[in-house]
Amino acid sequence: MESYIEQIRTLAVDLLKSGKVDVVIGYRRGSVPMATVPFMARTPEQAKQLTWDSHCTLNLANYLTNRQEKIGIIAKGCDSRNIVNHIVENKINRDQLHIIGVPCKGMVNPKELQTLLDDEIISCAETGSTLTIASSQAEIKIEREDHLRNNCSLCTHRNPVIYDDLVGEAVEEPVLDDPFKDVNAIEAMDADEKWNYFDDLLDGCIRCYACRNACPLCYCPTCFVDESDPQWVGKGQNDTDIKTFHFLRAFHCAGRCTDCGACEAACPMDIHVRAFTRKLIKDSKELFGWEAGMDISKRPPLDTFAPDDPNDFIK
Amino acid sequence: MMANLLEHMGMEKDRVQFSWISSAEATKFATVAREVAQSVEALGPNTKFVKGSD
Amino acid sequence: MSETKQTKVVSFLCNWCSYGAADLAGVSRMQYPENIRVIRIPCTGRMSPKFVLSAFREGADGVWVSG
Ligand code: SF4
Ligand code: SF4
Repeated sequence: MESYIEQIRTLAVDLLKSGKVDVVIGYRRGSVPMATVPFMARTPEQAKQLTWDSHCTLNLANYLTNRQEKIGIIAKGCDSRNIVNHIVENKINRDQLHIIGVPCKGMVNPKELQTLLDDEIISCAETGSTLTIASSQAEIKIEREDHLRNNCSLCTHRNPVIYDDLVGEAVEEPVLDDPFKDVNAIEAMDADEKWNYFDDLLDGCIRCYACRNACPLCYCPTCFVDESDPQWVGKGQNDTDIKTFHFLRAFHCAGRCTDCGACEAACPMDIHVRAFTRKLIKDSKELFGWEAGMDISKRPPLDTFAPDDPNDFIK
Repeated sequence: MMANLLEHMGMEKDRVQFSWISSAEATKFATVAREVAQSVEALGPNTKFVKGSD
Repeated sequence: MSETKQTKVVSFLCNWCSYGAADLAGVSRMQYPENIRVIRIPCTGRMSPKFVLSAFREGADGVWVSG
């Protein structure tokens, strides 16, 4: 990790000094432990604040939409796939970008770490794969591997798929026996059980739209939830409205979602938003053999037509 | 895929149906219309996703 | 909501295909169930998932999309 930080800073400083880019988008330490915030470094001085650790949970591709300047961007595996999405969807030009790829070892789930200690965690330090977390009462050491975010533990694309510079060595890609266990479990339920499952899941949702705002795919100037003529969905805490919002937002991500987990990391209510998008990821794979953001020369399956597209649902 | 996700969320499968009928296929239209109406009727009235039902 | 138990199927029909077929069916005096409520769309490409949900939200029991 420390070597990653050094390399990221050196690369960023060089890029800014040589004028190759106007800004480097990366992470900076947050004001509380176990958090990083997105950071735009515009001078070599500022670039020295860039950092990297096991808490870079947001997706930086989110900050690329329609930017005009030359940008250096730090990208872990999933970020790089979202950058590919952005390029394919004409939200950014490949020539504008200098991508600093970072092979990712997975990000941890801070909410899970908090459950390990009784008091609030006030510091978290990292050496190699070990994290030391401490509250005012206790201190424990844990392994990063054991406390990964759910999406990171299911991730099979840890290395960036597109980059100009790679920080450190590529990491080994995990092979999963049963990547869609969670989705299958829901599929096995009957209609009412499913309905209740999602009812419970969304019980705490406060409609803050943090999930939408954190998602790099959700870049529409006016989201359908904000449209008022026609108004597709009400503004309140009505269960049907909440479900409508989540259903439609997920569907808009069909064939595009990279399972980066930014939506879940951003949710203040700890809602498993990916329960929706993971079904779409599974279907994209099974119906179209598609994984989002892997190739900048391919359009996503739902905006292309191929004669062999599955159509047995049509009478 | 949309129908799949709806089903995933607990809508009954037959509530959303798709078909392909050319403007010359009036008989097919009438047949399919009958089928669709019957399968929905078999499911009974819908209670899910209705605004105001909760 | 309604006193009668009759189910309603909101049908989105493409102007050029199924709407034409429906028209022809009507002209030919064919019978089809009265639960089908037709909405004509300019092309099935106009269809959007929002329409399907809107239909359900307003109390439809089924949705039929035909091109
Ligand atoms: S829906 Fe969530 S997991 Fe998927 S790309 Fe958006 S933020 Fe990432
Ligand atoms: S971030 Fe969480 S609480 Fe906010 S709208 Fe999304 S799911 Fe609901």
